[in-house]
Amino acid sequence: MDDTMNRRSLLTSAVLGSAATLVGATALGSLAPEAAFAGGTGAPPLPTGSKQDVEAGMRDPNFAEGRITGIRDTMLLVAGSDATLWRIRVTGGTSIWKLRPTTFDSAAVGDGLYARGVLLPDGTLAADSIWLNIVNLVVHVAALSRDTIHFDHRGNRIVGHVHHGTTAASYNGTPAVQDLSMVTVGRHAQVLGAWLPDTNEIDIATVYTTAG
Amino acid sequence: MQALLIAVVLLWSAQAKLRRPARPVAAYRALGAAETVVSVSLLWPSRIPALASSLLCAGFLLYLLYAHRRTPQASCGCLGAQSVPISMRSILRAGLLLTVSLSAVFWPVPVTAFGWAFGVVAVVAGLAAVVTLSPELDRHWLLPWRRTWARWTHPLSAPQAFDVPLDSTVQQLHHSPAFRQLASDLASDVREHWDADEWRILLYTIRSQGRTGTAVFAVPRLRYAPDAVRATVVDLV
Repeated sequence: MDDTMNRRSLLTSAVLGSAATLVGATALGSLAPEAAFAGGTGAPPLPTGSKQDVEAGMRDPNFAEGRITGIRDTMLLVAGSDATLWRIRVTGGTSIWKLRPTTFDSAAVGDGLYARGVLLPDGTLAADSIWLNIVNLVVHVAALSRDTIHFDHRGNRIVGHVHHGTTAASYNGTPAVQDLSMVTVGRHAQVLGAWLPDTNEIDIATVYTTAG
Repeated sequence: MQALLIAVVLLWSAQAKLRRPARPVAAYRALGAAETVVSVSLLWPSRIPALASSLLCAGFLLYLLYAHRRTPQASCGCLGAQSVPISMRSILRAGLLLTVSLSAVFWPVPVTAFGWAFGVVAVVAGLAAVVTLSPELDRHWLLPWRRTWARWTHPLSAPQAFDVPLDSTVQQLHHSPAFRQLASDLASDVREHWDADEWRILLYTIRSQGRTGTAVFAVPRLRYAPDAVRATVVDLV
């Protein structure tokens, strides 16, 4: 906990320590990443040779999807929907999303997953970003109840759970707010959320709709 | 009594089919015409129209069971122009109509058998049951009712919900010059975030020339000022 606080204090000071608000003049010098990496310290270079151009119709080798079948240290074993078996390595630089930005501890066997990263020569995918159980649904609002929004998705009922402090609503394309009181029964909506595996329920991250 | 109920339902179903411009299929219109004929003949005091309506309802039920199994997303086009996938409610409705039709064949009860008032109440109750089991008609009564109920009860109101969601902060960040300058090198989604007074700090992984580091953004938390977004890059993950 202290380490986290110290790290956050350091990074907060780094970005706010300078009075400059203009791009190009920050606490640590130039904004250009080349300048920040010029010292040659930090993480070792990634094998740039593994980057591949994706031809039209071909599978993107730097993208994986499927469900987690096992977790070994910092490695996720994933079975893809097309029967591909993935080994996905999580590093300190990997962003993990599960309803909100979270940590590796949140990953569980059975979770659905999308991952993007760099395919290493040993066949593992060094993940830059992992989204767990993420769903993006076009629905209409069927009913409202306490902390729950019932959605109709192509005739199927989906139960959406509201998490106060996390769930947000964006009305008419305006910036998201935490006030969900304008969500209206019968309106169309697009919902970003985290699926609760093997159920028809989701935790709602953001609901995009029109104000009632 | 049963015949009157079936007649009203079939007449409603027929007009939905005959007046629907989006379904010009001849067989569909022929079905609507058959429903009209049967519904009118049901007003005749005979068991033959009731037998015809029973056959029609049995056909509906078998079709719905078949369609529900083969193409569950398809709309049955039964009672309205609203396209609604075949559900258990539709199947129950067809079963109810078949039961009522068969009872009209074997145990017909005149509307006035227990007095006009009872007869009217019974028919209205039967129609209410049909409407309740008709997903196509939900938008006419169920959605307005749920909307009104939500207006009364405010189930999603949260008086303390004044904090700015992360989504809003990210949206502001995306509009900032600082983000635009670094965006092409950002490798990850938001890795971590926290609030520091009036600022919200967001971390992204950044990669350039094969090296990895952290892009730190400070976004105004309580005001919309993309030009005020600050950023720095540190060689630390």
